[in-house]
Amino acid sequence: MRVEQVASLEGHSDPVWCCAWSSDGNTLATCGTDKSIRLWTEQDHEWVCGTILSDGHSRTIRRVSWSPCGNMLASCSFDGTVCVWTKKDGEFECSVTLEGHENEVKSAEFSPSGRYLATCSRDKTVWIWEQGGTDDFECVSVQSCHTQDVKCVRWHPNEDILASASYDNSINFYKDEGDDWACDFTATGHDSTVWSIAFDREGDKLVSGSDDQTLRMWKRYHAGNQAGISPSWKCISTIQGYHTRPVYDVSWCHLTGLIASGCGDNKLRIFAPDPEQQVDCHTADAPNFIQAASLDAHRQDVNCVKWNPTRAGILASAGDDEVVKLWKVFDYEIPI
Amino acid sequence: MAAAGFSSALKISDLNDFITPSQECIKPVTVEKQKKGLGSIRIGDDTDDLTLETPKIQRVQITLNDCLACSGCITSAESVLITQQSTDELLRILSESADRHIVVSIAPQARASFAAKYNVSYRSAGYRLRSFLKKLGVKEVLDTSFARNFTLIETKREFLKRYKEDRSRLPMLSSACPGFVCYIEKTHGEAILPFLSHVRSPQQVMGSFVKTFLGSKLSIAPDKLYHVTVMPCFDKKLEASRDDFFNEVTQSKDVDCVITPVELEELMLKQNVVFTDLEDTEESPSGQFALEHCYQHKGSGSGGFGEYVFTSAVRELFGEEVPFCDFKTLRNKDFTEVMFTRGDQVLLRVAICNGFRNIQNIVQRIKRGTCNYDFIEVMACPSGCLNGGAQLRPNEESPKELLDRVVELFKESQQSGGRSPDSDSAVDELYRDWIADRAERLLHTKYKAVAKSTSGFTVKW
Ligand code: SF4
Repeated sequence: MRVEQVASLEGHSDPVWCCAWSSDGNTLATCGTDKSIRLWTEQDHEWVCGTILSDGHSRTIRRVSWSPCGNMLASCSFDGTVCVWTKKDGEFECSVTLEGHENEVKSAEFSPSGRYLATCSRDKTVWIWEQGGTDDFECVSVQSCHTQDVKCVRWHPNEDILASASYDNSINFYKDEGDDWACDFTATGHDSTVWSIAFDREGDKLVSGSDDQTLRMWKRYHAGNQAGISPSWKCISTIQGYHTRPVYDVSWCHLTGLIASGCGDNKLRIFAPDPEQQVDCHTADAPNFIQAASLDAHRQDVNCVKWNPTRAGILASAGDDEVVKLWKVFDYEIPI
Repeated sequence: MAAAGFSSALKISDLNDFITPSQECIKPVTVEKQKKGLGSIRIGDDTDDLTLETPKIQRVQITLNDCLACSGCITSAESVLITQQSTDELLRILSESADRHIVVSIAPQARASFAAKYNVSYRSAGYRLRSFLKKLGVKEVLDTSFARNFTLIETKREFLKRYKEDRSRLPMLSSACPGFVCYIEKTHGEAILPFLSHVRSPQQVMGSFVKTFLGSKLSIAPDKLYHVTVMPCFDKKLEASRDDFFNEVTQSKDVDCVITPVELEELMLKQNVVFTDLEDTEESPSGQFALEHCYQHKGSGSGGFGEYVFTSAVRELFGEEVPFCDFKTLRNKDFTEVMFTRGDQVLLRVAICNGFRNIQNIVQRIKRGTCNYDFIEVMACPSGCLNGGAQLRPNEESPKELLDRVVELFKESQQSGGRSPDSDSAVDELYRDWIADRAERLLHTKYKAVAKSTSGFTVKW
């Protein structure tokens, strides 16, 4: 495997907390401590920032998320609010501000169907909002299953299943039970804060990155599975010994199956299925992932990593060093 | 267990700090972290990560004393208040002050909870609770339902006044649920407070009645009266200790102590009392507050505020009788509405909104000026008071099955569909003999925004 830096996006004046690709893979949204959202697109082989959205939040913007249609962008902030930005006549404007969380909102994610928006906060709760007209979101559920700060929420790629990761070291899974949503499984195993989680393409596996310096891989056991295991998410492998500081973010590429991690040791790492392992990774209970690349990506903490959803091998990373970088991975079929 | 007795609104808002120290507690504690050996990839081993409880970082125990000695979080006063209202405190009062006249008032929701869990009738559950309490030394055991007449009537009057004179303060929001009131005071303050009803909840009307009327009728000095209520949630403890319910004249709180079904059950367990072995003798009822009356209003298990305000407002504003209220379910079963229309004009719109998630939508709509209801019965617990945070927990059945039976038993207790406070001579009598021109003082209260505790901690990423 070979990894090359293809661009360095400079413009943010403070640490960058998150980057997010639009579902067509053409626009990258970034946000951070400088309270602005920047939208980057490629023009004549150059990545340029064409739009800066400010005035939405009064404190750090922690994460941004695109709606699947690309017409809406949700941003969440330490000011306790979530802004939904809607494209009108080609311009994004803040169409609605969602209030309700008691304090810092850590993550906001549109569901793949576009119907729901999930948010989580230091107030220990996870909220699910449903889109009613364009400018209207109603709170359909407030889940308080975590006992501590909730760091990250992510939706299952094909079903209305939500996962959340927390400072209480656990990962919770939620689904709609008719009248309300309910947490139907809690996955435990990490020894410290779970900072980020990511589903694989089918949604049968989940990877989590933690303050305990490991990645864990979890497999979904459906009701009535052949192994006779009760419906659950079970840890099937732990990737450890590589990260020397907390793992702040993970991203699972739905095109290549590669996993990227961003770490407090300033490194960006890429993990690939072990070619030596003579099993099909999509069904194997314990896939063997090995480190295929490790890069000194940023001068400070790597806060976010995101695989491009349409261009195989393109990866974005964002760091405390105020820079966003784009990478291209070559020969990813051959990990080492 | 303590924290679980609160409504979700209180648990979610900053108030959850009452019971457990918040994560930012600055008391220095050392946490031993397990070090993992180095190595490459560990292939999953089944026993380790299955659904077994893996040992996690040990919970740090912080005592109330630690909290009191620390100014890190402004929650200690409120925790103290909860230790002051416990069955232990009740037993202490019982043993230390033999000359005190102890009155216990039982909420119908708590009574229904015992009835459902122990498979006895609603009536019988009340009588059994009475025999238990009397054995402990309690002098009088009453039902709070009759007090609700005054809450309902005053709520209707307040609503009609606003409807006619000050529509900018509509929707009027019921305020009998302290979980909701505290949440609004702490989180939304002046943006929402003007919409709250100022009428006392049935618990506090009962308190007023016991301390100002019953005492003088029985010729018992106020300091010799001790008033306990049995309520479905811990939130009611907070309500009872609000400054506004401290009676300057009697120099005591209207309700001295609030205990809940879970606490009562625990006390029975401790004393080896089996609920179903308790006697359930009917007595000849003395006064309207006797358990024998099973006085129950129409409508929801939270007090029927929505139903009563709707039917009586339609009558008084539009001169029509609505035989029954058909609340339609909206987004979920905890959000229902009923409308009164003439032609295609909606003249009155009333909703029942239960649970934190629905409260959110109401609050946001009011803030945006898009809430078109006239009156909303708001309760912090999903399903309302019958599902209060400190109602009894099931042994074998699921919480939902038990709740369904609580609801069922409560409905059965609403004799011929439940009563109405209107044209009840006993109500009129008390208005004349007890309340007279003091309705404002005895039956109303006020609210104020509480400054959010700004913790001096740095942001946690
Ligand atoms: S809804 Fe009823 S039981 Fe629940 S907190 Fe409010 S008053 Fe208590």
